[in-house]
Formats: sequence, structure tokens, C-alpha cells
Amino acid sequence: MKNIYLTFIFLLIICSLNAQKIEDVRINRYVDLAATIGESQGSLSGSYVHNWKLWKKRKWEAGFSVRWSSYFGSKTEFITAPARLARTNTTPFLIFFAGQRKESQDTLTVQRPYTNSVNLAINIGYNFNQKWSGGFNIDLVGFTFGRKSPAILTSNGETQTEPSAKPASFNLLLTGDHDLGSLNSEFFLRYHINSTWSIRAIYQFLFVEYVTQSVKQVAPDGTMVDRFRNKANTFGLGVSYHFKSIHNL
Amino acid sequence: MRWILFITLTGLLSWSCKKDMTSTTPVQEHVDTATAEVKFDGSFMNGPFGSVSGSVKIYEDSGSYQVALADMTISNGPDLHVYLSKEEQPLHFIDLGKLKSTSGNQVYPVANAPDFSQYKYVLIHCQKFNHLFGSARVVP
Repeated sequence: MKNIYLTFIFLLIICSLNAQKIEDVRINRYVDLAATIGESQGSLSGSYVHNWKLWKKRKWEAGFSVRWSSYFGSKTEFITAPARLARTNTTPFLIFFAGQRKESQDTLTVQRPYTNSVNLAINIGYNFNQKWSGGFNIDLVGFTFGRKSPAILTSNGETQTEPSAKPASFNLLLTGDHDLGSLNSEFFLRYHINSTWSIRAIYQFLFVEYVTQSVKQVAPDGTMVDRFRNKANTFGLGVSYHFKSIHNL
Repeated sequence: MRWILFITLTGLLSWSCKKDMTSTTPVQEHVDTATAEVKFDGSFMNGPFGSVSGSVKIYEDSGSYQVALADMTISNGPDLHVYLSKEEQPLHFIDLGKLKSTSGNQVYPVANAPDFSQYKYVLIHCQKFNHLFGSARVVP
């Protein structure tokens, strides 16, 4: 008798909880898979996104995501990474508009780069109507692991073998060439097939960093440099599965 | 549908492996010995990752140099290059370009005029995997 009573109470609680849940249209949660391709390089990425729709009209949305980005290439050129050697002006944000310091940049040609990055990212988007939306996202902080690869450092017209360059392990967004590690960012246009599925057209800008272990660049100021960055501009497609967000009244 | 996917993937994999391999069609190139003079020569020996046989001569003609490989037989591999190198296992090197063929006689021009007292080795080297296929020490 006691068991029947407990079962009844349990069912009552479940029913009452379900009765108090409604779909929350203020939240856009989804998982996304994307693939992009560029010259001798490409990427695959997967992310979980949680966005809040903003203000009364809920046209704008913003939020966070966790993104895994896998980058691969063949004979990809990485250039001197530290901002003070790469740019003429290193003031944060103004660095975007600064010129390149070609005279202090060397090239590391990584033969078989392959990295996996897991980063926390921020997103912003705008819903044009029920079918179309657009947005931007960028990685903030995370870590990278990947394959060591032979590389060739070309410095002052001379070539040297780096037997085993490795991916930089720590990622941090600090604006422009101040950034550390591998960071992914995307501009995208989305088409909603239905309330669950959508597809995206993507322009991706992906920073990937490799570190040399044996050979170093000797910078004009005499410092030794072991960080080299590839800036991949790629285009691709993504597909998203949108969850129904349930809200307790 | 699964078969189409399997055949497509197998084809892509096969193509991506083969596109890096060196041609096996013999090449017959020769230096004009009427004007060029042999400055250095040597014979190839096997490296740890391949087999290479043949000889090498370095010619000078009016201040410019050419590396001539003769009677070559090289085991095939991906992304094989011809290097002038300071060391037998290349650390400091000059890339003379992709290996033209795994056999025959081949000529590679050398940009500028390197110091051959330092660049003492001609190598057949797999660049992609940093694997030495064969080396020849060149002497005057």
C-alpha cells in the first residue's frame, strides 16, 4: 500500500512539473557542425551554443559556446607570431590597422600541421526574419593539442630544418597579433529549414600557432623567437540542430 | 550508397597519396660540358629511409653552378627533394627543388654561389616527413 502511495505521489509530481513547463523562446540553444576549406588547408569544428535573445523584439541574440576546432593542412606557411615583430603598432585594438613589419618576419613552413583546439567562445547574432539570420563568433580562451610535424624555417634567405614543431598549447584572445595559440572566428549567414534544423554559409578566420623546439628565429632586436602563426581564411558550410528550450513557470 | 561513399573515399585517399610521389619516368638531362667545368663530385649511399645509387657532379659555368645527378636509381617516396646541405642529416640546406624522377640523369641549377666548403652534401630527402633517402659527400 505504501508503494502504491509513493508511486502515485511520484506520478503527480512528474505531471505537475510537465504542466508547468513551456517552451522558452528567449533562448536559442543548438549544436553545430561545420567544415571549411582554403588553399592547402581546412578545418572541421563542432560547438554547443547557448544564446539569449535580447530586448523586446528578440531580433538580437548573444551568448557563449564551447567549440572544438580541428585544423589540418599541407606545407602551410606560418609567420613570426609576436606582435612587436609582426606589426608596426602594437596598441591593443589599433593593432588591427597597423602595418606589417615584413623585415622582421620569418616563415616556418609546417609540413603536416594538424591541431585540435577546445575553446570558450562568444557569439552575437541578428534574426532578420523567421528563416534568415546572421552572426559572428570568436574564441576567447582554451587549449590546443595536435600533431608534431617537421618544418622548415626560412630566415634571412637561409633554410633550416625544424625536426619537430608542435602546436602552441594555450589559447587566449588578446586582439590581433597579440593573440596566443589557436583561435577560431566566423561570420555566417544562416537559413532555418524548420524549427529544429538550420544550415550556415561560413567565412572563417582561424589563427593557428606552432612552436619550434630546435631552431629559433633570431629577431633584429637579438631575441630568439619560437612562435609562428598561420592566419587561415577559409569558406565553408555548417549544419545546426536546435534544441527546444523548456522554461519552468 | 555505402559503396559509392567507400569508393569515393578510397579514390580520394589513393589520389592524395600518389600526388606526392615522384615520377618514375626516366629523365635524360645533361650539362653542356663544352663550357661547364666539374668542380666537385661524389657517389650516393643509402640513407636510413630509402635506397639511392648513382653519382653527382657539380659544374661551374661562368660563375653559376649546376648539380648533375647521373645513373640514378632511387626508391620512390612522397615529396622527395634534392638538397645541398651542410650536414648529412639536413639542418642547414638549400632546396634545389623536387626530385624530377626516380631514375636517369638529372640537372638542377643552383641559385647564387653557395660556399661549397660548407655545403658538402647532396641529399635526396623526403621533405614532408623529414626522412633522408640518400646522401653523397662532394669533394673537389
